[in-house]
Amino acid sequence: MKIKVIINEEKEIKEISEGNTIKDLLKILEIPSETVVVKRNEFIVIEEEIIKEGDTIEIIKVIYGG
Amino acid sequence: MKNCSKCGNPQIIIKKKHSGQSLCRECFIESTREKVLKDIRKYKLIEKGDKVLMALSGGKDSVMALNILNSLCERNIIDLVAVTIDEGIKGYREDGIRIATENAEILGIEHKVVSFKQYFGRTLDEIMSESQKNAELRHACTYCGVFRRWILNRVALEEGATKIATGHNLDDETQSILMNYLEGNMHNLVRIGPKSESQDKRFTVKIKPLREIPEREVGLYAVAADLKVHLAGCPYAGDSFRREVGNFIKSLSLKHPTIMYSTLRGFERIKPLLKRELSSKVERGVCRRCGEPASGDLCKACTFIEKWDK
Repeated sequence: MKIKVIINEEKEIKEISEGNTIKDLLKILEIPSETVVVKRNEFIVIEEEIIKEGDTIEIIKVIYGG
Repeated sequence: MKNCSKCGNPQIIIKKKHSGQSLCRECFIESTREKVLKDIRKYKLIEKGDKVLMALSGGKDSVMALNILNSLCERNIIDLVAVTIDEGIKGYREDGIRIATENAEILGIEHKVVSFKQYFGRTLDEIMSESQKNAELRHACTYCGVFRRWILNRVALEEGATKIATGHNLDDETQSILMNYLEGNMHNLVRIGPKSESQDKRFTVKIKPLREIPEREVGLYAVAADLKVHLAGCPYAGDSFRREVGNFIKSLSLKHPTIMYSTLRGFERIKPLLKRELSSKVERGVCRRCGEPASGDLCKACTFIEKWDK
């Protein structure tokens, strides 16, 4: 299924499997989940949230270190 | 899926692994604010009538601290001013200054922007390019830390501030504990705490209201409360020892979610014993160059400057 992913204002259409969670998506994108806050359709969600067809997922990096 | 542990709202934004608590947006914001205010009371970080100088970088930590301290200002418990230090890091600091200024304006807080250039005649970029030419091996964080501390103390005196608040969070604090321990720097280790305890009255007391809030929760608070924050990493931080230690603790936290709290609590327990063993009253004089307190002839900042001016 197709979803829209926004990272640092860059938008991309991604194809992921049915039943994938935010945690799965972050794993695919190789983004450590403890460094980001994720919004699904403009609402903050936890990483167990299941992604649905047509969702817009925004990944906001909040931890940069140093 | 769990509902909010406080109000039952099914739209939760965090499942706290260390406590098992799940919270919705409103309850997370409220409970985090309450936790910070509770810590301020518990550690007596602020007294009625204090004038607090907030070290405001524009990053998530200092903006969150500013917003919470502002609630004390609105209740006429404290006076609040903010200062942003422009270290002179091209392509990085400009956005932070703009965002810091916007935040101060939104809250109606008096705000000052001061710079390394103004006080020391050089930007951090210039310092680093000079030191590379001279093959000096000091990390940018060393200069930055020394000069920022110097400026904060100076501005606090100029402003008549009784406290300097910084945005240090739980990750910062556990990193400092571990770094000083690993480096065997016991005298610096025993100085770590929610509130500085210098005997020297010329040093304004520093406080860390976010000291028990994990960095990820500070980030979540900033996004949840829709704060304007500068989300970017300092270009000089990449290869610092702090980052190495930080990454190590973060990776441990994945499997052991309480590790940062236990590091802090364990340290709190041994600190009084270490202090008793290690405390030595350092006689402080005055730096002959700038007049700030110094244990030797020159303070640390002026030691660097004199070396460069030779």
